[in-house]
Amino acid sequence: MRLKIGVYVCECGPNIAERVDIDRVIKVISSLEEFEDIELVVKRYKLLCSNDGQAFLKNEIESNALTHLVVAACSPRDHESTFMNVCKKTNLNPYLFNMVNIREHCAWVIPDKAKATEKAIRSIRAGIRRTLHQSELLERELDANPDVLIVGGGIAGMEAALMLADEKRKVCLIEKTERLGGKSIFYSQLLSRQGNSAKMIQQKIEAVQQNAHIQVFTETELESVVGFFGNFEIVLKVGKETELQTGLKAGAIVIATGFRLLNPNKLPQTVYQKEDEVYTTLEVESMILNEGKISLKSGKSPQSIALVHCVGRDEKGYCSTICCSTIIKIARMLKAKLPQISIRVYYRDLCLPHKTDQQTYEEVKAEGVDFIRVKEAGIQNTSIEYTQIDGVKKKESADMVILAPAMEPADGTEALAELLNVSLGETGFFQEAHHHLNPVATSIEGIYIVGAAQGPKGISESVAQAQAVSGKILNRLIPGEKIVPEVKVCKVLEDFCTGCQTCLEVCCYGAISFNEVKGVSVVNEAVCRGCGNCVASCPSGAMRAIHFTTPQLYREMIEAIR
Amino acid sequence: MEDQKQKEEFFPKIVGYLCNWCTYAAADLAGSSKMELSPSLNVIRVMCSSRVDYNLVLTTFFGGADGILIAGCHPGDCHYDKGNYYARRRYALLKSILETLKLDPERLQLSWISASEGKRYVDVVNEFTERIKKLGPNPINRNAYY
Repeated sequence: MRLKIGVYVCECGPNIAERVDIDRVIKVISSLEEFEDIELVVKRYKLLCSNDGQAFLKNEIESNALTHLVVAACSPRDHESTFMNVCKKTNLNPYLFNMVNIREHCAWVIPDKAKATEKAIRSIRAGIRRTLHQSELLERELDANPDVLIVGGGIAGMEAALMLADEKRKVCLIEKTERLGGKSIFYSQLLSRQGNSAKMIQQKIEAVQQNAHIQVFTETELESVVGFFGNFEIVLKVGKETELQTGLKAGAIVIATGFRLLNPNKLPQTVYQKEDEVYTTLEVESMILNEGKISLKSGKSPQSIALVHCVGRDEKGYCSTICCSTIIKIARMLKAKLPQISIRVYYRDLCLPHKTDQQTYEEVKAEGVDFIRVKEAGIQNTSIEYTQIDGVKKKESADMVILAPAMEPADGTEALAELLNVSLGETGFFQEAHHHLNPVATSIEGIYIVGAAQGPKGISESVAQAQAVSGKILNRLIPGEKIVPEVKVCKVLEDFCTGCQTCLEVCCYGAISFNEVKGVSVVNEAVCRGCGNCVASCPSGAMRAIHFTTPQLYREMIEAIR
Repeated sequence: MEDQKQKEEFFPKIVGYLCNWCTYAAADLAGSSKMELSPSLNVIRVMCSSRVDYNLVLTTFFGGADGILIAGCHPGDCHYDKGNYYARRRYALLKSILETLKLDPERLQLSWISASEGKRYVDVVNEFTERIKKLGPNPINRNAYY
C-alpha cells in the first residue's frame, strides 16, 4: 500500500501565522525529495483545535484516506489528545499521528521569522520521519475492582473507610494491633477545652465496626500484594496464629500506618530510668484519660512539673509539627487540675501553625505557665539541664518531667514500603507523589498514603487527607467502569533477552519479572508506566519502549540535524 | 581573522532530549512567556531522561550533532520516581566515553529543569549553544557513518 501522509500546519490564529512563513513551510515540505515514495498532502488551517478545525481534519483523513497524520501546531501537551480523539473517529489509528510543536519551539521563541521558519521546516521533516516509524497501537480495557484495602485502623484509616463505605464501597480495614483507634485513642482532649476526644474516637470505632460495608481485621498484617491499580490481589496474615487469608481483591490500597514516638531513652541528652517520674506526652495523656488526674507513682500530687519540647528534633532533622500545641494543651490541663503548682515549659522554637494555637498559647501563659526559651535542653532523671539563649547553663529539678519526643514512622514502615514497592522519603516516612500538588498519592498508581504515615501531622490533617483520598478513589474507581492501562509501555523482545535481569533492578514500579523457564524478563504491561529506563539499561537491546522506540527517536533526530 | 569569522557563522546543530513532564513543560512555559531562544536546539521529546541510552547519545554525535542536551526533572522530583538518577549515572559514564572518542565531553550536558523554570530553560539552552559555538563543529565525519 502506498503511504499517504497528511501534514497540516495550524496558523493558531496569528500566533504561528505571523511568526512563521507558513507558505514557505508548505512549499518546502511538499517538494522534499526524501519523501518521494510517499504521497504528501500538505495544507494550512487557521485553527485546527477549534470544532471546525477538528471537523476539517476528520474530513481530510477520510477523504484522502491518509495512512499517517502530522499536525504542526502547538505543544502536544496542549492538544495531542484533541487530535488523537479526531483520529479515533476515523479509521486512522491515533498512534500513527504525530504532533510537531512549531509554536512554543519556533514561533514564540525565535524572533527572526526566517530562522523560525527554517526550524519549523526541520521539526516537521523530523516529525514526518518519526511518524513513518510509528506503529498502530490498540488500547485495551480492563475490568477494575472498586473495593479498597486500608492498612492501619487509626483515625486516618477509619475516616477513609467510613467515607468510602458511605458510597457503598467494600472496604477491608486491617489493623496490626488488637484494637482500632490508633494513637488518637490515647488523647484525653483534642484541643484544650474541646471535650473528650476518646469519646469521639470511640464513636468512630463503633461506626466502623457496625458498618456492613467495612470488614475489619485486627491483629492482621499484609503478607503479600501483587497486581496493579484496579486489580490488586492480597494475602493477609491474620491473628496471633498468623493464619493466611487469601483470595482478597481490591482496586486501590490506602496506607494509613501512622507514627510512633521516638524513644527518648535512645538519646544521650535524656537519661532516666523506668522508675523515674519521666513521661512522654502520650503517656501523660493516657494517665489523664484513664485516671482523671495527674499523680506521681507514689500516688502523691506533684508540686512542680517540667515540660520539654523538641526531644530528638536535631537527631531526626525535622519538626514534628504537633508537639508544641500538644504541650500547650497538656500544660493547660495540668494547670486546670493542679492550679497551685509550678509548671515550666522548656522550648527552643514554638511551632503554632493552626489558627487557634496562638490564642491558646497566650491564654496558657496568662494562666501562669512559665515558658522558658532555651538553646538546648536535656534531662538527668527529673532534673533539667539547659542552656539559656544567652549561653548560660542552668540546672533545675521538678517532681515530674514530661517529654515531647519526635514522631517517627511506625514500626514496620520499611517492610511495608518494600512489600508495596512504594518509596520512603529521606525522613523515613512514605514519599508522596508531589509535596504540594499530589500529597496523598504515591509513585504507584492506586496506592495512596494518608495521615502520619506520610509525615508528622495531627488529627485534623489526617482526617482531611483521608477525605481527600476517598475523593480520589471514588473518582477513579467507579463500579462497572473499565480502566484503560497505558499503551505506551515497554516490551521485551524475548529473542534478544540474555536473562541478565538488569531491567528488574532499574524498574521503579516492579513491573518486570523473570521467567525462569524461558530465562527471559517479562513486563507486566498493566504496571509499566513507560518511562523507558529499562530500555536504556538493557545491554542486549531486548527492551523496547513502545511509541518511543529507538528507531523512532533515532530517525527523528537524524532528520532534525540533517 | 578568517577562522574567527567562520566560527561566528557556525550554526551549531544541537539535539535536546527533554523529559515530557518537567523540561518539555518548561520549554512550553518559555514559549508562552515569549522568551528568546537560540534556534539551534532541536527538541526530541522522551517520557523520562532515563530513556536516553548510551547508543542514542553516541549515534546522535555520529549523526553530526555538535552538542547534546539531556534535561529532566530535578533530583527527587522525577515523575517516575528515580529515573533522573539513572540518567545521571549514564551521563557520568558517557562523559568518559566521549573522552575516549576524542570528543570534548563539554559537548554533552545534563540539566535539571522543572516545569516552572521557563527562564532557566532558556538560559541553559542559550548558554549551551554559546559553548558549542566556541567548541566549533563536531569533528566526527558524519559521511563516514551515513
